[in-house]
Amino acid sequence: MLPLENVKILSFGTGAVVPDAGKILGELGADVIKIESKDNLDFMRTIGPDINNIGQFNEANRSKRSFGVNLKTEKGLELVSQLIKIADILLENFRGGVMKSLGLDYENVRKLNPQIIYVSSQGFGGGGPYSDYQAYGPMLSAASGLLSIWAQPDDPYPVGSNSPLPDHMASKYAVVAALAALDYRRRTGRGQFIDMAQTEVAASLVGEYYLDYTFNKRITKPMGNRSPYAAPHGCYACKGADEWCAIAVFTDEEWQSFCNAIGNPAWTKDPKFADLLGRLKNTDELDKKVGEWTATLDAHVVMETLQAAGIAAGEVQRAPDTLADPQLKWDGAIVELDHPVSGKRLYPGVPFRMSATPPLKSTPAPLLGEHTEEICCDLLKMSDEEIKRLLDEGIIDNPESAKGAGGGMFG
Amino acid sequence: MTKEREGALSGYRVLDLADSKGAYCTKLLADLGADVIKIERPEGDPGRGIPPFVDDVPHPEKSLYFLHRNANKRGITLNLDISVGRNILKKLVKTADVLVENSPPDYMANLGLDYSVLSKINPALIIASITEFGHSGPYKYRKGSNLVDFALSGVMITSGYPGKEPCLLPGSPAYDSASLHASVSIVAAIYMRGTTGQGQYIDTSVHLTSRMGLYPWIVPNYSYALNPGAPPPTSETRMGASIYPVYPCKDGFIRVIALTPRQWDALMRVLGNPDILQTEEWRSFMYRIGNADDLYALMLEFTTKYTMLELFEAGRREGVPIAPILDIADFYNSPHTKAREFFIEVEHPVAGKADYPGPPYKWTETLAVMKRPAPCLGEHNEEVYCQELGLSKDDLVALRGGGVL
Repeated sequence: MLPLENVKILSFGTGAVVPDAGKILGELGADVIKIESKDNLDFMRTIGPDINNIGQFNEANRSKRSFGVNLKTEKGLELVSQLIKIADILLENFRGGVMKSLGLDYENVRKLNPQIIYVSSQGFGGGGPYSDYQAYGPMLSAASGLLSIWAQPDDPYPVGSNSPLPDHMASKYAVVAALAALDYRRRTGRGQFIDMAQTEVAASLVGEYYLDYTFNKRITKPMGNRSPYAAPHGCYACKGADEWCAIAVFTDEEWQSFCNAIGNPAWTKDPKFADLLGRLKNTDELDKKVGEWTATLDAHVVMETLQAAGIAAGEVQRAPDTLADPQLKWDGAIVELDHPVSGKRLYPGVPFRMSATPPLKSTPAPLLGEHTEEICCDLLKMSDEEIKRLLDEGIIDNPESAKGAGGGMFG
Repeated sequence: MTKEREGALSGYRVLDLADSKGAYCTKLLADLGADVIKIERPEGDPGRGIPPFVDDVPHPEKSLYFLHRNANKRGITLNLDISVGRNILKKLVKTADVLVENSPPDYMANLGLDYSVLSKINPALIIASITEFGHSGPYKYRKGSNLVDFALSGVMITSGYPGKEPCLLPGSPAYDSASLHASVSIVAAIYMRGTTGQGQYIDTSVHLTSRMGLYPWIVPNYSYALNPGAPPPTSETRMGASIYPVYPCKDGFIRVIALTPRQWDALMRVLGNPDILQTEEWRSFMYRIGNADDLYALMLEFTTKYTMLELFEAGRREGVPIAPILDIADFYNSPHTKAREFFIEVEHPVAGKADYPGPPYKWTETLAVMKRPAPCLGEHNEEVYCQELGLSKDDLVALRGGGVL
C-alpha cells in the first residue's frame, strides 16, 4: 500500500508552496484535489500562452486532480462545502484574507468538518500587520533576512537567485505539518489549524545567524562562498564561458591530497598555505592560485580529478548536466510523464525510497477542470443532467469550458 | 492535575545518530513534540565545532549552529565502535519509533546495525538514512559538502550576479533539503505504521534531494523550452537581478516583482507615475528583462525618494509585490515578527539565555514551541541510561571508564 491511501486533500493553492506540498502528498498516495477556476487562475497557469502547457505549473501540480469551480457563486461554494465535509486535510496559500472573504476560513470550515486539518501558508503568516500582504518566494527571501546574507562580500547589494526559494523549503514544512497533524488526529480524533509563515521558514534555515544577533549583537554580513573553517572553499572559474567547479578543502590532510592531485606546483609548497589558519589568512591569494589551475581545465575534469583524490568537488551544473549525471541515472531520478497537452516531458522524481511501499510515482498535472465531472459524479453523487446544467451556467469548469482562459501574463 | 498540552508527535521516540546533515530533520520532529534523543560519540558531534560561537569563543556548548539545530532534543553519548555500545543501542532501538542516521555507505552494515538487524529487534522501527550520494551507484564513495552539493543542485548557477562567482545560499541548504525530505518521509511512514503496524527503511541522499527538491523547475524548464511563447529560461544563468530587480531606496534596498502589465502599472503609481517610464515598451516584461541595466538607471531616481517600508506598504496598496530587504536585526525587530512571537527565549546552562527562532508555524490544538535548549554533551546519560533503560549508576561509571559513553 501507499502511505496515504484513502487520505483526501483539498488544495486551494497557487504559485509554488501549496502546489508543491500537494504534489508530494499525491506522490505519497493521497487523493489531492486542486480547487481552481478559469475565472481566477492560479497565476502559474498564466506565465505562458496556454494554461495547460506550462513547465513550472505542470511540475508543481503533478499527482492531483483538478476540480474547476467558481467560488464566487453560491452553488460553487456549496459544492466545495460538500467536498470539505469528506476531506481530511485542506491546504491553502492564497493571499491572507482571501479564504475568509470566501467564507472558507478555519472557523467556517470546522463547522462543516470539525476534524479537518487546515494548513494555511502565507508569506508572512497570520496574526500580524503583514498578514494580508501579497508574497512570492523571492520577496520572502528579501523580507526574512535571508537575502541580506545571500551575496558575495563585495556585491553592491544582494540579488539572490532566479529560484523562488524559500518556497520549495516551505512546501516540505507544510507536508510535515499536515502529516504530523494527520497522525495526531488518527491517535486522538482531533483536527486543527496550522498557520505557517514562509518568512519564518526562511529565517529558521539560517537560525544560527539569528542567534549570532541575539547572543552576540552582530548583524551577519554576506560571506559568499567563503567558510570560516575551510579553504579553498568556493566556486572556481574553469575553461569555457560561465563554467565553474565548487571545491571544499577542510583538513590539512585534504589539503595535501589536493596538492598531490593538482601535481604539486611550486606555489603549494609556500609555508603560508601549509595549514588551515594560513590558508584562511591568505584566502585571496590562495583562491587566485587555485583559479589559475582550474581556468585551464573543463569543470568536469576538475571535479573528476579532485574526487579521485578524495576531495569534495562538484561542477556548478545546469539542467543538461543533471540529465547526464551518472548517479542520478543510476537512481532513476528523472522521470518522463506523458501529459495530454504537453506530451512527453521530463520531471524530477520522488527523491527518497520507502521500503514498505511500491515505488512512489507522479501522475501528470491535470488540465484545468479535467476531473470536475468525475468528482461531481463519484464524490458529490450528482446526476449527468445536473453536471451539464452547472457547466452551462459556468459554475463548474471542464477543459472544454476553460478553453481560451488565461492567455499569458507576458502577452 | 491538568494534562500538559502535547505536540503532534508527542509519544514518539526518535534516536538521532545524525550530524549536521540530518540535524534539521530531527529538529523538525523535536519541535513537534517527538522525544528526540541525540546520540553522540563520546567526543561529541563535529557540529559542535561549527561557527559562529557565543562571544566568538569556540566551545562545544557554544556553537550557535549546533544550539539552533539541536534545540528541543535530549542528548546522550555512546560509542558504537565498541560492542557494548552497539548492544546498548539495540536496547534503545526496542524503545524507539524512528532512527535517523547519516553515516557513510556501509558504515551501519559493517557495525551490524543495518535495517535487517534492527528491524528484527523492533519490527515497527522506521529508519531514515541520509547519505551524500547514495548507498549504491557510481558516486557512492564520492565526497560531498554543503557547498559542493549545492553546486551540483542546479541552483548555484542561478545565484548571484551575472558574470561573477555563483553564490552559495547561506545556511546549509543542501543538507537541509535532505533533512526536510527525510522528515517528510518519516512522518508519512509514521502515519502508515498506524495502519500496518510495520516500520520501514527510508533511503535518501543529499545529492538526490537537493537536485530534485530545492528548485524542481530546472528540469521541466529545460524540457519545455521548445514551447512556443515559453516563459523566459530562468534556470541556466544568474538572472535574479533582472527578473526580481533590487533597487536602492532612502534607507536600504527593495526587491520588486512586477511581472504582468497590471503589476507594472501599479509600480508606476507607487512611484508617482514618472513620465520617463510611461511608455508602452516598458510595460512589457520581456523588454524589461532585455534592458535591465537601462531600467535600473532610470528607476533609481524614483525609488530613492522613499523608505523601504513606504514602498512595501504602497506596493500592497497599489497591487505590486515589493519587499524590503531586511537584515537580520530588521527581521528580528519587525512588528510582524514580534506580533507572531516567532522568537522564543531559551536558557542554556553554559551558553546562557537568548531568543531563538521558534518553529515557523502556530498550531491550535497541539504545541510547537521551544521546550528545551540543545543538550550539553552527554547531558541526559543518567536520565536515559539509568532511569529509562534500567542501568545502575555503577554501570554508568564503568561504561564511561571503558570509553563507551
